[in-house]
Amino acid sequence: MALSLAVFVQIIVAVLLVIGLMVGNAVVMVYVERKACGFIQRRPGPFEVGPRGLLQAVCDSMKLLGKQIFVPGNIDWPLHFLAPVVAFLPVLLLYLPIPFGPYLTSLQVDDGILLILAFAGLGAVSNILAGWSSNNKYGLLGAARAVAQSVAYEIPMIMALLAVIFMTGTMNLTTLVEGQGGWPWQWNIVRQPLACFIYVVCLVAETNRAPFDLPEAESELTAGFHTEYSGMGFALFFLSEYANMLLVSFVCAVFFLGGWRGPFLDGFWWTFAKAYAIMFFIVWIRWTFPRVRFDQLLNLNWKWLLPLSILNLWLTAVVVKLAN
Amino acid sequence: MSGLGFINPFGVRELPGTTTGDFYTANFAQKAQPGRVILNLGPQHPSTHGVLRILAEMEGEYVWRAEPVLGYLHRMHERMAEVKTPQQFLPNMGRVDYLHPLAWNWAYVGAVEKLAGLEPPERAQWLRTLSCELNRISSHLLWWGAFVMDLGGVTPILYAFEEREKINDILQIITGSRLTMSYFRLGGVCADADDRFLALTREFVPYLRERLKMYRGLVTDNVILRRRLEGVGPIDVDMCRRYGATGPVLRAAGSPNDLRRDVPYGTYPQHDFWPATGFPDDCFGRYLVRLAEIESSLDIVEQAVRGLPPGPIMVDKPPKANFKMPAGETYFAVEGARGQVGVHLVSDGGKNPYRVKLRAPGFSNLSLFAEAAQGTLLADAVAILGSLDLVIPEIDR
Amino acid sequence: MLRAIIDNLKGLYSLLVGLSITGRFLLSPQRTVHYPRQVVAPESLASFRGPLELVPSADDPAKTRCISCQMCVRACPDNCLKVVKGEGGKAPAVWVYDFSLCCLCAACVEACPASALRFSHKVYLTALTRDELKLDLLADLKARAAKAAGGADARPPAQPPAGLEPQARL
Repeated sequence: MALSLAVFVQIIVAVLLVIGLMVGNAVVMVYVERKACGFIQRRPGPFEVGPRGLLQAVCDSMKLLGKQIFVPGNIDWPLHFLAPVVAFLPVLLLYLPIPFGPYLTSLQVDDGILLILAFAGLGAVSNILAGWSSNNKYGLLGAARAVAQSVAYEIPMIMALLAVIFMTGTMNLTTLVEGQGGWPWQWNIVRQPLACFIYVVCLVAETNRAPFDLPEAESELTAGFHTEYSGMGFALFFLSEYANMLLVSFVCAVFFLGGWRGPFLDGFWWTFAKAYAIMFFIVWIRWTFPRVRFDQLLNLNWKWLLPLSILNLWLTAVVVKLAN
Repeated sequence: MSGLGFINPFGVRELPGTTTGDFYTANFAQKAQPGRVILNLGPQHPSTHGVLRILAEMEGEYVWRAEPVLGYLHRMHERMAEVKTPQQFLPNMGRVDYLHPLAWNWAYVGAVEKLAGLEPPERAQWLRTLSCELNRISSHLLWWGAFVMDLGGVTPILYAFEEREKINDILQIITGSRLTMSYFRLGGVCADADDRFLALTREFVPYLRERLKMYRGLVTDNVILRRRLEGVGPIDVDMCRRYGATGPVLRAAGSPNDLRRDVPYGTYPQHDFWPATGFPDDCFGRYLVRLAEIESSLDIVEQAVRGLPPGPIMVDKPPKANFKMPAGETYFAVEGARGQVGVHLVSDGGKNPYRVKLRAPGFSNLSLFAEAAQGTLLADAVAILGSLDLVIPEIDR
Repeated sequence: MLRAIIDNLKGLYSLLVGLSITGRFLLSPQRTVHYPRQVVAPESLASFRGPLELVPSADDPAKTRCISCQMCVRACPDNCLKVVKGEGGKAPAVWVYDFSLCCLCAACVEACPASALRFSHKVYLTALTRDELKLDLLADLKARAAKAAGGADARPPAQPPAGLEPQARL
């Protein structure tokens, strides 16, 4: 694909839209998360600012923007300020190959999923930078956990997606969606339930959400790698966390839940509805379960998810071969 | 961490070796082996519930050595007892352990009564049992929520607070307050139970039994919680004896020690209950013991409401402001939610006691922690700390 | 191996049980009583210990029963009471009560030989400075008497601060 002017403009426009989506998503998700958490805990959640508290997240982001950036002593300052940016920027790139709708794709890439998986690893780098540079022992422990966790869970995640790719024979996300039908039984989740399960577990772990939120385990490490961040630094971490969540939810929707295809009226709303349903599920489990221990987290990955995903991959390969 | 300096272009103050921090850290660091990190948990830390401070020598995620540092909430309760008459000191007892204030009420009142030879009337005794057990339930409920929060589950504590609010509503009727209750008086209690109190209590018992089933589904049976707790931080009877640990910690270790049974006081001999034992000696056992104690307390409450006799709630001649204890020495202990709550009282015959020693169960239970946490993961150490059910104001007194 | 697999499957089932419980609570009504839009029922404050107040004498609601005997002052563990005897007679001239020091232990109420003290149920008392919590109980008694003369209940149930009306639902 030649990088013509048209493509260039398309990318610029797409990146701007993606930034809008990220910010809007963070605002919506902060509100949804706090409301869902409140309702689960039988309290109303935020409701003071705006009708039913709708403006709470906006006010929170205003507050974060206006806060003084407190810099602790003895930090490694270039890395300290680089870390939130490193957390935030790759996510912009990751949204490019996602097909939101039949025509609503920022960039048609044949190896779309490869692009996503390749750059998703950068999130761990930002966690290390943040934890290491802020000269805080809690941060350091959080960073160490973040690295081990995201490295470990990337493997079964890729294996699970690979099974679907074996089956459909394409890495182009648009083609993937077109291969699935509109009704739930025509989705890949029916043909690859184990892969979908593994992917969902890895998705929670990759985005550092409870019950796998060990890098920021509140009761052990206070806030983990972003302990020393305040104001915009913290906001960027926050933004990228929600953006990452949305991204993996989109990938899940595209791979397993039929993307923009629905029983009626195909369109980007289906992608969004499915992605946000997964997001809500992530929120729901966060407010239900206790946190796992670190060795259990790794054991779960290396002893269960990885063998299972390899088995699944192998079975898929055999079936695909036989079917051909 | 001092290795950070070489990439620091501003060259801000270098950390001078390992002896940074205050006296405790410097002292603790002397025995630390090279390559290990001294981690300072607290006094402000989400899992130390107040102002407990723990110094931990870490290698990676493993805690090699831990040392609790106390005294951030020392309020001189024992000294206050020496300058106040027993009646004036009573409200202090609600503040020592704010989660189970009525046990402390009882310990102090019981000590003074034992010395002065006062015998509270029957109804007052029953009301003491009833309110103390309700209070124990509320204490265990809060512990349950806080413990699960230590393990990362935020929601259960808010469910526990629903029940706790109900208990507070009930206890408020007779004690007049919701947290730092001061209900017991020398020779009786200060208010009688009315019909509303009894009706609400009767309503509450089956309600909580129903809710305990929900607790079981949400938390006790949860696989994540079980694997976090099973086999973690075993504390055997021998270790409990060495440190003087009592209460649920000792009962989980397998020893059926319960002052309500062993040294009966109040109306406990007339109640049908059995100390909860037969659980594993790990964190999960301590978790189960407390849940079982909620149920046995519910039984006692039910029996107490049923058997509450009519009559006065105060001795005929209640001690006046100029009340003088006879000279002498006494010790009275009750079973609090955290273990043996004891008051050692020495009187020289004056208006104020000569010396009062408060035996806080949390203090002994916390002493265990250094040994129990050795060689565990940080997350396990937090779980062990939570399973000891510490109330810092009580430890520091 | 097989046992571990079965254990894990059981574990997964327990997670589903947990999700169903929180899911049920997600849809069930909330338990928050949101002050100031909602207030708790007055009967649940019937025995709540708010700041002290003086009991009016039987014949005159503006007059106190207090005989300035100083028993309460002596009984108080926090030294938060100040009672000064007035000119001629036993009635107090000054009755100042420092609520910021009070521990609500009821020692004064029980020590009073004239039963002139009781706890009010003012849960909504707030102050911006400590001085505002030094309450003049004689003035408070007179104000209550004046209110009672105007037809209002002498001991009204706890009311939220003015301007914030209680509301049934959020």
